[in-house]
Amino acid sequence: MALILVVDDEHLLAMLLADTLTDEGHEVVMASNGRAALERIRERRPAVVITDFMMPIMTGLEFAEAVHADAEIADIPIILLSGAQGSLARQRSELFFAVFDKPFDIQAFLIEVRNAIAQT
Amino acid sequence: MPVASRVTSGIEGLDQILAGGLIEGASYIIQGQPGAGKTVLSNQIAFQHMIGGGRVLYVTLLSESHERLFQALDTMAYFERDRLGKEIIYVSVFQTLRDDGLPEVVKLLRGESQRQRATLLVFDGLLNARDGAATDFDVKSFVAEVQGQAAFVGCTVLFLTSSSANKISPEHTMVDGVIELTESLVGVRTVRYLQIRKSRGSRSLGGLHKFNITDEGVTVYPRLEILRGRCSGTDQPAAGKTRSGLPALDALLRGGLPRASVTLVGGPTGSGKTTLGLHFLSQSSAEEPGLHFGFFETPAKLRSKADTLGIRLPETGDHALTLGWRPLAGNILDELAYKLLDQVRSLGIKRVFIDGLGGFERAAVYPPRLPEFFSTLMDQLRMAGVTVLATWEMREMAGGEIRAPMSDISAILDNLILLRQFEENHQLLRSLSIQKVRDSDFDHATRSLTISERGLVIGNPLAAGTPPSLLQPVDG
Repeated sequence: MALILVVDDEHLLAMLLADTLTDEGHEVVMASNGRAALERIRERRPAVVITDFMMPIMTGLEFAEAVHADAEIADIPIILLSGAQGSLARQRSELFFAVFDKPFDIQAFLIEVRNAIAQT
Repeated sequence: MPVASRVTSGIEGLDQILAGGLIEGASYIIQGQPGAGKTVLSNQIAFQHMIGGGRVLYVTLLSESHERLFQALDTMAYFERDRLGKEIIYVSVFQTLRDDGLPEVVKLLRGESQRQRATLLVFDGLLNARDGAATDFDVKSFVAEVQGQAAFVGCTVLFLTSSSANKISPEHTMVDGVIELTESLVGVRTVRYLQIRKSRGSRSLGGLHKFNITDEGVTVYPRLEILRGRCSGTDQPAAGKTRSGLPALDALLRGGLPRASVTLVGGPTGSGKTTLGLHFLSQSSAEEPGLHFGFFETPAKLRSKADTLGIRLPETGDHALTLGWRPLAGNILDELAYKLLDQVRSLGIKRVFIDGLGGFERAAVYPPRLPEFFSTLMDQLRMAGVTVLATWEMREMAGGEIRAPMSDISAILDNLILLRQFEENHQLLRSLSIQKVRDSDFDHATRSLTISERGLVIGNPLAAGTPPSLLQPVDG
């Protein structure tokens, strides 16, 4: 049982992820863009952050950079779910715990979430 | 008044209908029922805009995920997945609308447009925006604010909405143009139409224009007679004659078919229309390339027919002759015309055999436009210096009196040749008669016609006493 932050502008996908993670026994907080996500992180520190790439205000990459630039939260593992920009993100692999290209295998995804939680 | 600068939609036919493309910095509503093609059209415009060097912000207010959208677009030739997220970005404002309302959406759009340095903004789901608005006024002011801030930076806006076709929505008053997509059933066929319902500051081509959606994306076909009809007509017909392929016929025509004229060959099935066309095509050469534009015979069948009749067609591959075949099923009338004209232009065709005009008629969803359509098509061919031979299937020939096929169509043809079949003493006989030739004397006799292993053979005039009653109809 851990606190997980899901960052996605696409409501349906965010809900789907939230439900899946809740079924796994986790508590889920949601944000629809990177700026709102940074606020959520500072309110309550999550064990893992799941983020989309293409979003308003900042991209998933810019969001991850912002997290890493802040020493207090820089160590929170971030898992990126990407439509087509997976390769962009993999070039900055130091920012991400894992990168998944949509559509992805939900079981493989859940394993990485567990791994990320275990690391913290 | 300064001329507004245009930005191409990336779709040739749509640009033509819009009299040169979208107006830069203007806003448009694209509306239609679900399935009408709004998303495919607007994504195509978006990708073409990007390929042309622009930057696109595609905003959705739908519950459908972008990934599902991309999967659907993956089948389209224009869609390039690996360009997503750079010059073209897709963002959803569904949550912003739900949690914070329309004013926040406006604010977010302004920020995102700047961040993306967008020159095209697509907003998919205007109808959903209405759910977040207390009154029509709110939607109107939303549209006004979004287009105001976009126009300020020269960004063109497309609002997509599935509001019902006939209702004039209040936001229509706010935008510069309304493009409506409809889908209707004609018999068992589905026909897609595009119509410009509003076009401020620009004269568009009115009425319904057909379009279709293939893996290549959307292709729009402006109505031929309205696009090309305006620039019609050299008053000066080309001088000279060209060989028909039958020396005996050339003699009756006093030297051949008038160059750059349209000849209609009318007659029932089996009367020799296609055979006459094969003679005509046999005269094709590298200097005077020929085109067969047919609906019935495949190129292979046509060649074997020519072989059987002893008619020598130029070989394929030496550019003297192109055999085109357009199966009858599901053709779009204007598409046929543009394909024909494109082939004529790109191959430098000077001799066209259309077998037959009925193939166009079958493709017509609204037959009353055919006379104007054919008139424009034939004008275009004449202007390109093409000599045309076209067949027309005729069944009704009762009482020996020949009715010209669709009188208003025959008026646009230059020359008319009728082929007939009749029985005499239980023998099937054929005849050929020239009814009309542009600017030329011709032989007025009805002559016997036989189909031999050397093709058509024109014989003597039929006996003067042949009673009309012997000119019996033969069912096609």
